[in-house]
Amino acid sequence: MPHLPFVESRRHILRAGTTALALPALEAFGSTKSNDEARPKNFVAIGSYLGWYQKAFYPQKTGKDYEVPATLSPLADFRDDFTVFSGLDHRSQNGHAAWSNFLCGQSPKSYSLDQMIADSIGDKSRFPSLQLTAGAGEAGKSGANSISYTRQGIPLPKTRRPSVLYRQLFASKEDRARTEYYLQSGRSALDNVLEDAKSLQQNLPAADRQKLGEYFDSVRAVEKSMTRQLQTVNVPVPDPKYKLPDYDPITPNLQMEAESIFYDLMVLALETESTRVISLFLDGLGQVFSIDGRPLGSGYHGLSHHGNNPAMLRDLVAIETSHMHCFSKFIKQLKEKKNAEGVSLLDDTIVLMGTGMGDASRHSNRNLPTLVAGGGFNHQGHVATDQSKSNPPLLGDLYVTLMQRLGMEVGNFSNASGNLNEVLS
Amino acid sequence: MTQPKARKRTERYPDPLAMVATICIALTYSHAKAETVPSQPSAILQKYCVECHNATTTEGEIDLSSKHIDWTAPKNRDLWERVLNANAQQIMPPADAAQPTKAERESLTKWLDGKLLQHTSIGGTLPRRLNRSEYQATIRKLFDLPKFELPVGFPGDIELHGFTNIGEGLVVSPPLMEAYSKVAWEIAEELYPPKNPAPKSSVRIAKPDDMVLSFSAATVRDGTLRLASRANDVMRSCSWPSRIELNYSGTYRVSVSASKFLSDRGESFDDPMILEVYARPVAASERSRVQNFRLLKEIEVSSEEPETAVFDANLYEGETVLFRWKNAEMTHDPPAIRDGFEKIARANKEFLAAWLKVVYPNGNAKPISLAPLRGRVGWDSVSKHMNDPELDLTGVSADSESAEAFFKLVTKSGKTSIADSLCHYYFEYGPSLEIHSLQIEGPLKLVDSPKDLLRKRRQEKITGPRKEGMSDEAFARQMLETSLPRAFRRPVDSADLDRYLAVAKEHWDSGHSFDEGMHLLIRNILISPRFLYRSLGEGKLDDHDLATRLSYFLTGGPPDTVLVDLANRKRMSPDWVLKRESNRLMPGRASDFFVKDFTGQWLDMDLLPEIMPDPKLRFTPQYVDMARSEVEYFFATMLRENRPMTDFIDPDFTYTSLLFAKHVYQLPIKLTKDSTANRKLRRIKLERGQRAGGLLGQSAIMMATANGVDTQPVLRGVWVLENILGTPPPEPPNNIPALTPDTQGATTPRELLAAHTKDAECAACHKRIDPFGFALENFDPVGRWRTRWPKANKPIDASVVLPDGSTVQGAIELKQWAVANIDQFSQCVAEKLMTYATGRLPNHAEKAEISKIVKENRESEKGFRDLVLSLIASDTFRTH
Repeated sequence: MPHLPFVESRRHILRAGTTALALPALEAFGSTKSNDEARPKNFVAIGSYLGWYQKAFYPQKTGKDYEVPATLSPLADFRDDFTVFSGLDHRSQNGHAAWSNFLCGQSPKSYSLDQMIADSIGDKSRFPSLQLTAGAGEAGKSGANSISYTRQGIPLPKTRRPSVLYRQLFASKEDRARTEYYLQSGRSALDNVLEDAKSLQQNLPAADRQKLGEYFDSVRAVEKSMTRQLQTVNVPVPDPKYKLPDYDPITPNLQMEAESIFYDLMVLALETESTRVISLFLDGLGQVFSIDGRPLGSGYHGLSHHGNNPAMLRDLVAIETSHMHCFSKFIKQLKEKKNAEGVSLLDDTIVLMGTGMGDASRHSNRNLPTLVAGGGFNHQGHVATDQSKSNPPLLGDLYVTLMQRLGMEVGNFSNASGNLNEVLS
Repeated sequence: MTQPKARKRTERYPDPLAMVATICIALTYSHAKAETVPSQPSAILQKYCVECHNATTTEGEIDLSSKHIDWTAPKNRDLWERVLNANAQQIMPPADAAQPTKAERESLTKWLDGKLLQHTSIGGTLPRRLNRSEYQATIRKLFDLPKFELPVGFPGDIELHGFTNIGEGLVVSPPLMEAYSKVAWEIAEELYPPKNPAPKSSVRIAKPDDMVLSFSAATVRDGTLRLASRANDVMRSCSWPSRIELNYSGTYRVSVSASKFLSDRGESFDDPMILEVYARPVAASERSRVQNFRLLKEIEVSSEEPETAVFDANLYEGETVLFRWKNAEMTHDPPAIRDGFEKIARANKEFLAAWLKVVYPNGNAKPISLAPLRGRVGWDSVSKHMNDPELDLTGVSADSESAEAFFKLVTKSGKTSIADSLCHYYFEYGPSLEIHSLQIEGPLKLVDSPKDLLRKRRQEKITGPRKEGMSDEAFARQMLETSLPRAFRRPVDSADLDRYLAVAKEHWDSGHSFDEGMHLLIRNILISPRFLYRSLGEGKLDDHDLATRLSYFLTGGPPDTVLVDLANRKRMSPDWVLKRESNRLMPGRASDFFVKDFTGQWLDMDLLPEIMPDPKLRFTPQYVDMARSEVEYFFATMLRENRPMTDFIDPDFTYTSLLFAKHVYQLPIKLTKDSTANRKLRRIKLERGQRAGGLLGQSAIMMATANGVDTQPVLRGVWVLENILGTPPPEPPNNIPALTPDTQGATTPRELLAAHTKDAECAACHKRIDPFGFALENFDPVGRWRTRWPKANKPIDASVVLPDGSTVQGAIELKQWAVANIDQFSQCVAEKLMTYATGRLPNHAEKAEISKIVKENRESEKGFRDLVLSLIASDTFRTH
């Protein structure tokens, strides 16, 4: 019950979706390509709250022939599958509070890229979009760390427990039974209120009776929709054969574990076409990670204020490399899964990895480290934009390119009205 | 940023042509009830109107040529009311056509006014579905769920006549019905959740490696978890297992193995160490304070050898245990950290020498930045020097100047960096509190969590207490007797009650539990039209409907027990009772729902979040919030203090911060030295008769009537006509593109908009619109005063001729004019209030009643609160 007591409950989850939409199937993801052009149909955005240390993220050289920097080392095997962008940002204000400029553009807390995409293509799947978060941090503080915002600027709640996502995707027997009960008893509830409404109408003037026509029509429409849903609610869901741990890794120090599980479930969600749009927020506060059995020198947030101290930088980069290690397993799975035509799930999915924080040590939101993987793009290694020129490209220009690649007819995003189609195609 | 505004305006006005088209049909087929138009008005209409508006030409699809009018048809009355307005406001005939004389205009007005009054009766609200906020407030109150929030995707409401609570605009659609059905399910799940399967008892073990390390709250050394400090911030002083989360509320057996850690190089600690064990919801925020958690046990740790303490405690679903060392010497407040430093430094010269060496490398006078010395990173560099046999101790003394400077620095640096390093001194040398292992066994038995108890209280609020020996059916009947009238906001007769009871009975008969029957009843109630709609019926409101209308008007929620009780005793409608209750519920604070909701819609404050002021205007998001607060505090005060209506325009007070008053309003304000105080909203006295203050001078209003980047005189002019003067212009004709002035260009907006007054077709409306916009042109898009048009860089000419012929020089004189014609403003705000309260646009007869109230209010020198009270007492308010 995500919206009642403000905490994510592990109680029964109603099976989402209507008959119009396919139920999750675990066979190879379908081929929905039209004849004209092969284009990706999924979008995934991953944002790190504390950012990426630029010197370990950006290759020194531009172009394809670069030496893989420390943070990207887990991705070395996939260097042809992604492009790193340096120099781009949204010209947004500085500070943690403006973090949401990652997907929102120049105005933090406004309509985010993933939601624009979801509003355009999300209705073709059971879940128009999914919002996830790994690693406890500022949770509960107002919006400073949300990632996805609706058209009205409402921050979307993020799922923090892998078990909840799992059950949304692959309803358990108990959840299915509960859904069936909801639909069956729900229909009888509608029957009763129709009777109630008829009795009520008798004493009303003509204008009121006419107005209540809307009510009758709506009740009947929902009744029909419930009947349709009842026909499919018990279609068994294939077993994804994925074993979750018997606890939810939601304590801050288990962030990497949560991340890995979420990536696995994200692959399953895309593969089963349960959704086309996912955002994943990588949070971070005081947690002290142990990496390779060694507790790091300070908490994650403390390390992000490294002040160029080499010991702190070493540990910060170790954390960021761990993130990338989890991420590389995601990319690997996407690349390995292929549909009937031999197109990989990675080619079918645009993956945007970035942050709203350019340099956490100074709380600067300039020059946001950004990486685009998959999407069937002809990847370009490291693209450095020249920000000294007049009218230099904005991160929003890249977003326009991504949206166009997904088939959306858009020409601008936030403060950007160009695109990077010449760089990335 | 013009888009939202433009969108909103089109939504607000239904397509005038479509509306008129239906009117034409009604006119063509007028029947026996039609009255003949008397000769005098007929002649005026023939002379000035019919040439364009006849059966064949029907300019604007309006036909005024008929000699007979059926006044009983509401559509005809709508049409002739528009004619009345076009005539009174001199919008018609167009400027290039022959104009009626004053006497002719008055004669037409008199005839139409009389006919419309004669044929219009008070009332006519359509059933009003609860809108989003009313629905949420009603559920909160009905089920005692004060934190209930609608799901993010819950459908929004359509705005009509400027408000989202108008009967006609509140449509029920299948998606909305589906959303209602889902919300009803969620509420039922909250109140009567399905039973969990019986749990099995199990043993869970956490070793030091399975504990949360946050900042320098704890560390793992030699296979133990060490705690060194105490603080109220959980993330700075506590630890808890990362993989234990209990799924059942119950009694558990907790075993903790702990010991003291001391060393020769550290301080001694003779007292027992007190280990506090708290219950922590696993999902609680990392910024939680330990006081928010439940203390389960204090364990005395006296030995340096591990000893196991065992105790039973109640832990609830979703919780785990959390450890804190209660009597640790080290805390995280700066003065105590400084004292701790000094104490160690006096006992341990190496410690001091090493710190000084790290912080002032090579004997520098200036310290390095302390931020990178956080946690063990900082400690490692200090420790390295401490253990260096060649560390130079000459001259190192806690009394030296350099030591004193360092201690000062520690105090200043606060808790974030140095204290994190100091923890590691204790981790390494003691005293620390060591935890070796934790075991939780259970549940030994199940218990009710506070949530379970709260749920039982909520259930009882709906059902009433269950008497001994009461059958399920009798109990359910009691629930319906209590809850249906509350949910439906009026008494329920026995047939209706039985219908609901039958639903539960049928459910039980088909094998469902008692709770499931209640679950279903709750869902039924929440999708019933009696719950979802108010204002069902016609004629005078009865006591219950009156209580409901009053309550939603003033509080946005359902009637409270006092109103319900009065209605049940049929004591709601006497004037003095209604007045007393209105006064009791009357909002008077800026945070009151009515103040926020009504100003949000009437004054378009709800548009502010969509407006991003141009960075050039140096107007921060905090300023935007402050500007909105000003309007809300101002409005609340007008109501609370029963201020004269003229204070809406030219008050002697406002609410804003000193900073805002100085920087935005350029008032002669002296800032204080306290920057927090400068940013705080406060009441500020104003001189009357100046530009700041009132609805025609407030920043938020100027912002809502611009687009964040430049001003649009037409938009502001329309806004003033609509929301201050209550005479909105008709929509621009469809075939004419709107003139959008480019204020960035070399010409001034005035030059550009001159086109409006040259074209006769535009002039009819624009000679009424544009003057109000231009008179306010000195206010930039955020309400700051300016004297020149930007870009054009020419002085602003704000002198205008108003529609009534008055000449006005800019904002100050416009305010004077509005004060002199205050009834027009009062009528406008009174009509807005009435629209909001009754859910319908006042008709001609109702406007006449409001007009009488407005006049009487002024003549007896009454204030705004009096006006609201008189409106509530009116027939218009008291009628369906």
